Amino acid sequence: MNAQPSTLPGPGQPLLTLRDVSKRYGSKVAVRSVNLSIPRGSIYGFLGPNGAGKTTAIRAIMNIILPDSGEILFGDTPLDGSLRDRIGYLPEERGLYRKMKCREQLSYLAELKGVPRSEALQRADSWLERMGLGEYGHQKVDTLSKGMQQKIQFAATFISEPDLVILDEVFTGLDPLNIELLREMILEQKEKGVTIIFSTHMLAEAEKVCDSICLIEGGELIVDGTMEEVRRDFPLKSVQVAFADQSAPPEDLPDVLHREFKEGVWRLTLAEGSDPQALLPRLMDSGPVSLFSANRPSVGEIFLEAVARHRGEVRS
Amino acid sequence: MSKILTVVRKEYLERVRSKSFVIATVLGPAIMSLFILMPMLLSETGKDEERIVGMVDPSGQWLQPMSGTIEKLELGNVRLQAVGNAEQPADQRVQALKDMIQSGELHSGLVLGEDFLHEPQATYYNQSVSSLVVRNEVLRPALNQVLREARFREKEVADGLFHYLIAGSQWQSIVITDEGEQEQDDNVSFGMAFVLIMIIYIMVIMYGNHTLTAVIEEKSTRMVEVLLASVSPEDLMLGKILGIGGAGLTQFAIWTGAFYALSRRGVEIGGFSLDIGFLTPMILISFIGFFVLGFFLYATMYAGIGAMCNTVQDSQQFHTTLAMGLVIPMMLLTMIMRAPDSTLSVVLSLVPLFSPILMFMRVSVSNPPVWQVALSWALLLVSIWFSSRAAGKLFRLGILMHGTSPTWGSLIKAVKA
Repeated sequence: MNAQPSTLPGPGQPLLTLRDVSKRYGSKVAVRSVNLSIPRGSIYGFLGPNGAGKTTAIRAIMNIILPDSGEILFGDTPLDGSLRDRIGYLPEERGLYRKMKCREQLSYLAELKGVPRSEALQRADSWLERMGLGEYGHQKVDTLSKGMQQKIQFAATFISEPDLVILDEVFTGLDPLNIELLREMILEQKEKGVTIIFSTHMLAEAEKVCDSICLIEGGELIVDGTMEEVRRDFPLKSVQVAFADQSAPPEDLPDVLHREFKEGVWRLTLAEGSDPQALLPRLMDSGPVSLFSANRPSVGEIFLEAVARHRGEVRS
Repeated sequence: MSKILTVVRKEYLERVRSKSFVIATVLGPAIMSLFILMPMLLSETGKDEERIVGMVDPSGQWLQPMSGTIEKLELGNVRLQAVGNAEQPADQRVQALKDMIQSGELHSGLVLGEDFLHEPQATYYNQSVSSLVVRNEVLRPALNQVLREARFREKEVADGLFHYLIAGSQWQSIVITDEGEQEQDDNVSFGMAFVLIMIIYIMVIMYGNHTLTAVIEEKSTRMVEVLLASVSPEDLMLGKILGIGGAGLTQFAIWTGAFYALSRRGVEIGGFSLDIGFLTPMILISFIGFFVLGFFLYATMYAGIGAMCNTVQDSQQFHTTLAMGLVIPMMLLTMIMRAPDSTLSVVLSLVPLFSPILMFMRVSVSNPPVWQVALSWALLLVSIWFSSRAAGKLFRLGILMHGTSPTWGSLIKAVKA
């Protein structure tokens, strides 16, 4: 059933390519001619605010919706039904049969991906063990806690041993312990050579796991590349500063693109080529500085700048 | 293909293993036999209860022979009782009769003219339409009989000749089947035909509705997006319908098996012996054919509608309208039964929405030409093809749609798009 793994491109080569993919719902454009390629073996961040078009692009990849135009390649072959069996998908809207037993559920979803039944049952058992849910195999899904159900959903995504996995907002609704557990499992799968698309609006989460990212806004792709490439393209500086007397940095600081106050610390994004050190005297004039550090910019800061640049381009 | 089978297997086992399936399988025959037994039981109990009919018979010569005839011909458990006596004027006696009916002393009343032999005028007083059964089945035949006898006597017809003149004809009905000839029991044939039609009706509605709720459930639990990442919407729909239909056929197979086993042992239920002779291969084959095709037609429509709805409540209006396709033929049953081969019956029984019930009815009570049955199957297949394509379209379109509840207008627009 599964196509031969020999059709897979080498590591780092594009495993999945979107060419000029567009989709509109009525008069609303959900995705506008998106071009991107996802390198094999990477964790690829699919980033953007809610409603940016991430889920539409993913549904087009999974053939759940048909794009209006453009093509999608797996390696260098157009994606079809049997190749889709090699893609695992964890949708943002989680879904499990509530009245079905966990083990049955996992093996059913594996079978639908073309895994023979006996093999599917074995894999279901081993995944239940790994998730620490071994004793729940014969219980119905709706007797499990929400966190456990999420783990079942996660296992269901990987049980067919896919080459590519799409995780849409995988950490939503999980407690920190379970987030940590799933993050380890994602990295473990990456070690095994699985390519992962990590779609989220939580940019800080993405930064921790992704090798490559793209940013989508208003249905358009505005940034695409490895983390290094993106940082090179956006040579921003970021300064964190805090004052002992709770005062704020002056409004008229030069080269500050964006400022944010969070948990007692100010985060200032500086334009390219500016010198963070030059800021320090001005800040000390405002009040007693208790914290000062110059950092790499966060993905969130890059995103804000990218959106600003993109809008500037559209305007000009 | 193997994916469709995986879906079929899951849907089939889920249903066959469920408690409700076991309950329906056990209770089904019990409810069915009630359908046959109830009318028999009702008419039995009706006979047991004695009804007193008051009678004003000025000549006094009719009451005795009528009572005798009712008893002799076993027309019903009716006792005639004279109201008032010959000295009283007739209108006073009629008034007393009316009062006794109103007070519930009498079931109804019969008033004869003074010279009934030559001017046979009878008036029947009663309180409800249901009394007309007594008039039609008991009083009128009995009165006609004694009137005829009296007139023969008046003309002094000899006794031997008299019996010869009033004797009716003797009837016997034989059904010819492939297995040979057999004495016909009207009640059993109609009863069995009715039971099988009820099975088609109930099973198509029930399992069609299963399809509807199964689709809506997958939508509302958001399961569908996970599934569609592995199966195409068309395969998912087909697998679902095949699995659910398979469960329905299994249920029927269990019933038929039990039925055969019981009839071999000659089991009788309430004096009604299970008659396997009725289930000829022709009837069995057309039953399965009409059930399968009817189920497919309705299930594809239900699946398409389910895909467009967000909740079971949303789907109710569509469910009700669709079910009319099954309810209308049920209401036409009596009409078709009276004239199974009339042009109207033939045309109605060819309408695909109706034919699972009406054409099957004709097969069970009459012997329609094979081409008509074949044509109805062909028409059903064509409709199934159309409705599955339309449903596939709705499925792809609606299955991820949440929010607005659809209307018939929006459904039709979606199918045409």
